Amino acid sequence: MAELRSWRHRRAPGEPIGAATRESYYGLPVIHGPHWHWPIVFYFLLGGLAGGSAVLAAAARLLGGRSARPVVRAGRYLAFLAVLPGPLLLIVDLGRPERFHHMLRVIKLRSPMSLGVWGLIAFSLSAFLNALRQAVDDGFFGRSNRLVRGFQQLPDRALAIASTVPAFFLAGYTGVLLGATAVPLWARNALLLGPLFLCSALSSAAATLSLLLARRSQNDRAEQALAQVEFLALTGEVALLEAVHRKSGPVIGRPLRHGAEGRAFAGARATTATALALHGLALLLPRRWRQRLELPASILALAGAFLLRATMVFGGHRSADDPAATFALTRSDE
Amino acid sequence: MSSTVPVGRTRARPGAFGFLTDTTLCIGCKACEVACKQWNQLPMDDFGFTGMSYDNTGDLGATTWRHVAFIERISDREGRRPTTLAPFQSNWLMLSDVCKHCVHAGCMEACPTGAIIRTEFDTVVIQQDICNGCGYCVPACPFGVPALSPFDGKAHKCTLCYDRLKDGLEPACAKACPTDAIQFGPVHALMDRARARVSELRAQGVEARIYGDQALGGTGGIGGLNAFFILTAPPEVYNLPAKPELPQRRVLPAFLTTALAALALGIATLFSFRRVGRMQHG
Ligand code: SF4
Ligand code: SF4
Repeated sequence: MAELRSWRHRRAPGEPIGAATRESYYGLPVIHGPHWHWPIVFYFLLGGLAGGSAVLAAAARLLGGRSARPVVRAGRYLAFLAVLPGPLLLIVDLGRPERFHHMLRVIKLRSPMSLGVWGLIAFSLSAFLNALRQAVDDGFFGRSNRLVRGFQQLPDRALAIASTVPAFFLAGYTGVLLGATAVPLWARNALLLGPLFLCSALSSAAATLSLLLARRSQNDRAEQALAQVEFLALTGEVALLEAVHRKSGPVIGRPLRHGAEGRAFAGARATTATALALHGLALLLPRRWRQRLELPASILALAGAFLLRATMVFGGHRSADDPAATFALTRSDE
Repeated sequence: MSSTVPVGRTRARPGAFGFLTDTTLCIGCKACEVACKQWNQLPMDDFGFTGMSYDNTGDLGATTWRHVAFIERISDREGRRPTTLAPFQSNWLMLSDVCKHCVHAGCMEACPTGAIIRTEFDTVVIQQDICNGCGYCVPACPFGVPALSPFDGKAHKCTLCYDRLKDGLEPACAKACPTDAIQFGPVHALMDRARARVSELRAQGVEARIYGDQALGGTGGIGGLNAFFILTAPPEVYNLPAKPELPQRRVLPAFLTTALAALALGIATLFSFRRVGRMQHG
């Protein structure tokens, strides 16, 4: 929660008042930053993981045939489990948690947070149905009774296909949400954050699924497919991280280069690039050696996804507190 | 950055009410700050010595809805006090800052609960019985106005004294201002007055400008500010963004790039899984 008066904590660090006066009002921030902290970082991460898993499960269900069954099963369960804490993380973050249901009064197309709430509900529902269908197939409710036969009527493929829309939405809307603010770092990268979060969602979901399935098989075709998705998504992620770095420029991009956020961003770039390189290398090697490279690559991809979310959330705080960044964003000549 | 002609264009509706804050008349007495606190029963702030001229308030916040900024332009490049002054007042700029009650308000468009409404006076008000403290309006305001209160967890900002307007009274700050630096009235009438005043000041050689029309301050889809200002220096000197943008203008383009990325990633995923089943049967 906000401090009583926060200007003294938010003044650009290390700026002597006299020097700052020339450029701004005593170096004080022009805008107010968000209050979002770790719950939101984890919500972004888990939301991406859930959305990505649902997409992978759907693709595996549609094209994968029998050998992709483990991916379908793990993907559906993971999507459901990962989205479960989401609403809780969002509610504890409210100033008045007991009023969370006020979000359900309206739907506003220009408010990504309003859309996000409805998208989260839609996704939770579809993830629940997909997980339920999987649980029935896995015999959680017995083999043949009325209940099971009823649930088996649930159209399997249609459920999988229908889940992809809210899944992509859940994984990507958070980037749009950040971009639709006055925070310079987010606003400048508004068009890039959604795609970046999507790529990271898919790579982290593929990474988690291959880690979960790694010990079960000897790198079969389904796992190769996961590795390939991870490779492609990581390619996008590495490119978009570079694009964010360039687009932010020297002033707005300061949080990406200095302090803890700067180190986290460098970490995100290093881990994703290394993961990508390892996957690329694995593609060239004989099959039995691949797993040795793909395991660490998946762990690095997950670390990169986490660092990316932390950089963006906390970098946003730094950015909002920097008057020069706001001026750089709101000057017409830049 | 200074516009040569006062443009004074705004998209404010004919019935809109607002403030004209004329900084050339402000004497920095802070009567507006005090009147606002009194009328709206706002809790006191954490007092501290800021070292920023006479400004010990700092900025707008949940418990400060008027904030008088003191810009002391005291030194030249070598740090000496200037011996020639601008041909008015002193080298002290004072600005009583407030919520701008934007014609298109970022805070209002962001709010996911519909707590923020536009009143019959075209002012922007947070309904305290609806707000759940999600805090999205806080970074969505291009001027850093609303803030979450540590007392009740909800977002607060200037209501343009909605309760007083309902009773036919002018807002407390405008009422208290001894120099009429804060003027309340219909936006279009105030804008005419501002235009005349700026021309008058320019004739005196003062580099005056309107902040809050569609050329300065109320830019980028905001459509003008219902609470606007007459400034005598570039807006950034007062910690105001020169050409802010309505953040929600980025929503549709950002969703489009995200959808494109989703399409590409969807194809990539299908492409990666395409052989898994086929090999099975083949
Ligand atoms: S200045 Fe900020 S808080 Fe006031 S109406 Fe505009 S966007 Fe909302
Ligand atoms: S904090 Fe309150 S007023 Fe602000 S966006 Fe959230 S619900 Fe709306």
